[in-house]
Amino acid sequence: MTNTDVQPQPSSSDNQVKPSLEHTLSEFQDCIDLIHRSYPELHIDLLFFGHQVDHDRLYQDIMNPLLSGETEAIPTILKQSRFIRVRDSKELIIGILSGKAAIFFLQDAFLVDVFGVNSRAISQSETETVITGPHDAFTEQAGTNLSLIRQRIKSSHLKVIKLSVGEITKTDVYVLYIKDIANMDYVNKAIERIKFIEVDALFDTNMLLQYIDDAPYSVFPQFLTSERPDAIGSKLIAGRIVGIVDGSPSAFSAPTSFFEYFSSSDDYYQRWMLGSASRLLRFIALIITLSFTALYVSITTYHYEMIPENLLLTLTESRSRVPFPPLYEALFMETTIELLREAGARLPTKIGQTIGIVGGIVIGQAAVQAGLTSNILIITVAASAIASFVTPAYVMSASIRLLRFGLILLAGIWGNFGLAAGVTAIVIHMSGLTSLGSSYLTPVAPLKLKDWKDVFIVAPFKFLTERPSQSRSPNKVKNKMKK
Amino acid sequence: MQEKLSPFHVAILVYMIQSGIVMYRLPQMLAEHFGTNGWLAIIPMFLLASANILLIGAVYRLGNGVSILVILEQSIPRFILYPFYLIMSCVWAMIGCLISKHYVLIFQMVAFPTTNPMIFKIALDVLIFLLMTKSIYNISKATTVFFWMLMWMVLLLFFFYKDFHWSRLTPFIFQGSTLTIDGFFNVYSAFAGYSLCLFLFPYSDKKTKLIKAVLAGNLITAIVYIYFCFIAFGFYYYEQLKTLQFPLLNLLAYIQLPFVQATENLLYGFFMFSIIITAVMYFWSAKEISKRMFPISDRLLSAIILVAALGFSFIPDVISEVDQWLSYLGYAELALSLGLPLGLIVLLLIVRKRGAALNE
Repeated sequence: MTNTDVQPQPSSSDNQVKPSLEHTLSEFQDCIDLIHRSYPELHIDLLFFGHQVDHDRLYQDIMNPLLSGETEAIPTILKQSRFIRVRDSKELIIGILSGKAAIFFLQDAFLVDVFGVNSRAISQSETETVITGPHDAFTEQAGTNLSLIRQRIKSSHLKVIKLSVGEITKTDVYVLYIKDIANMDYVNKAIERIKFIEVDALFDTNMLLQYIDDAPYSVFPQFLTSERPDAIGSKLIAGRIVGIVDGSPSAFSAPTSFFEYFSSSDDYYQRWMLGSASRLLRFIALIITLSFTALYVSITTYHYEMIPENLLLTLTESRSRVPFPPLYEALFMETTIELLREAGARLPTKIGQTIGIVGGIVIGQAAVQAGLTSNILIITVAASAIASFVTPAYVMSASIRLLRFGLILLAGIWGNFGLAAGVTAIVIHMSGLTSLGSSYLTPVAPLKLKDWKDVFIVAPFKFLTERPSQSRSPNKVKNKMKK
Repeated sequence: MQEKLSPFHVAILVYMIQSGIVMYRLPQMLAEHFGTNGWLAIIPMFLLASANILLIGAVYRLGNGVSILVILEQSIPRFILYPFYLIMSCVWAMIGCLISKHYVLIFQMVAFPTTNPMIFKIALDVLIFLLMTKSIYNISKATTVFFWMLMWMVLLLFFFYKDFHWSRLTPFIFQGSTLTIDGFFNVYSAFAGYSLCLFLFPYSDKKTKLIKAVLAGNLITAIVYIYFCFIAFGFYYYEQLKTLQFPLLNLLAYIQLPFVQATENLLYGFFMFSIIITAVMYFWSAKEISKRMFPISDRLLSAIILVAALGFSFIPDVISEVDQWLSYLGYAELALSLGLPLGLIVLLLIVRKRGAALNE
């Protein structure tokens, strides 16, 4: 693995404090999980965090070779490459904190990597499920995640850069790219932004992204996140850069565009026509999510003439018992749906199902019978809620759901004018957005017609010969097959 | 590095600036002023607009793509220029403002008869402010998205094929024409807006192929106009067409689907995308000129221009008044689109001659 360690190092030797056992122990005072083993006859002291090291490796790499031999043999053993001599106390402390064992022998200090914590096994992703294709997903351990990517991309050109974020948490962040395929401008820009972060703690990828995105006040996510190693692998091949945060099961890729959030790895694992159809369906779902409830509010408040006569009877009948204006009715229902969604997400799966049934009955029947809402609104709200979950990226579907509330309000105030004004405002906002400096609306604006066959549809592989223009790759061709 | 505009962006931008409120009335105006088969009159107008664009192209070539404001300021003293600047920015700001007011008044007429149109106008101005404070590159990106959101509506013209009758296109051309100079310029104002490309010089380079792109934009406008008016002339009787105030709205109202009717209510909303771009580009041009006189922050200047124009837009309060004002401003705009390039060419030639004389 080509790891380039760029963790902050002491800038000059003047700042260094020679590591000593006393100093290290005083630093870790009151840390009862720190284990101190002393072997006075061998002049050896061992320090490590019991829950962070792999005990097998500890015995195999340190205990057995050092403790079974003679004292005279120890200096020779310590010359082996796995024993890294440390000359700075700070470095030693960081090493112990990240799961290394510290060895004090006479006046010298060494670090040995025996890191090994129990982590979750690789399992299926719960947020990004696919029907066909690989099912494994990232875990919370960056090492495992890196290995999942390496398994898929066996190339020495896949480079991994390690950074550290968080003054207190010292979270490892890895930036990955494929040399000669990724544009180095993007790589450098991402590294620069991550290095610039000065916070105490970092716990998740999405938290990191909010520190490094181009427009922090925007509702739209500007980095694509995924829990699927195959999806992230495809981003690397597309010339994008990828980031992994230790402790988070999702990786991010950049630069990204709005339209990229509507593609799923599934699209490529099916016949191209099916892939294209489901991708188009997602864009239709986007329109439904954004506009359905807002249109209901707008039409029933201001534009009754838009409803054909036969439908008008049904609608007026269903609305006749409802005492509220359509805006309140719609907001009430939409809020209920959001409450159900939030409750379902927080509760254990089994109770979540109960919530679904209770919610379904309450919303489906009781609300109508009680005269709180109309049947047609329920259909509208349910359709737009279902459509919102069609978006494969959860972060994007959440953003769109939030925008929907804005559009409902505008439609309630100004009818179709409000709806058009809301859509205009969204487009204006998006036209100014960038992801790592490249347009968020690519390939629509700036127009890259060549990319459309891999964005709005999935053309047969024969035609998908080039990497997306957004990644500005120095090596554009990815498929040389003529047939 | 400042990103330059691409040819496609410029073409779309020009199309979106040109197609605005005049489109709603175009078939009626053509029928009234040019008589039977009036849609044919679009062709000479397109050629005229193209010739004017070529004149702008001459300025671009002679001035090597330098901003026209720089050219003007290098050879004319500021105290002469500034009043002229002020007039230009006022004309453009007022056009931008009245276009959005016109749109709002029609919306009010269609769907909100009891609402004060100025509330809508202010809402529209907020959107205009949001867009005009962005860079021209971002404006062009928004324009491209709006273009696609609007262009699909051309497909709606298929609805009229069933009721299109060739017999309504009489074999006579321009019979019943009552053409006056006024009428001609009123119709010609459908093409107005290309002059704003004078301000795109600094934002384009060789790759932009500015003039070719503007000509292409003008061609798209002409094709859309011809197609739309041709269908309108074959769908309505000539006499009927003359009496309709906004044939576009009538045509939209004709479209009925099993689950929705009176579609003009909804589809008219889509025209907001084109109106916003037209208004934004006029305001943006006004801002570009005003920046030379008042070097203050972009946002503040945009806000001042918008608020001043908004105050002015309170005066005309019915569509016919707005139409009247717009036609006067249209003359000013046409005078500028012809006069400005001509003046600049003369200026550039004088400068060149003087330079040559100095070199000798």
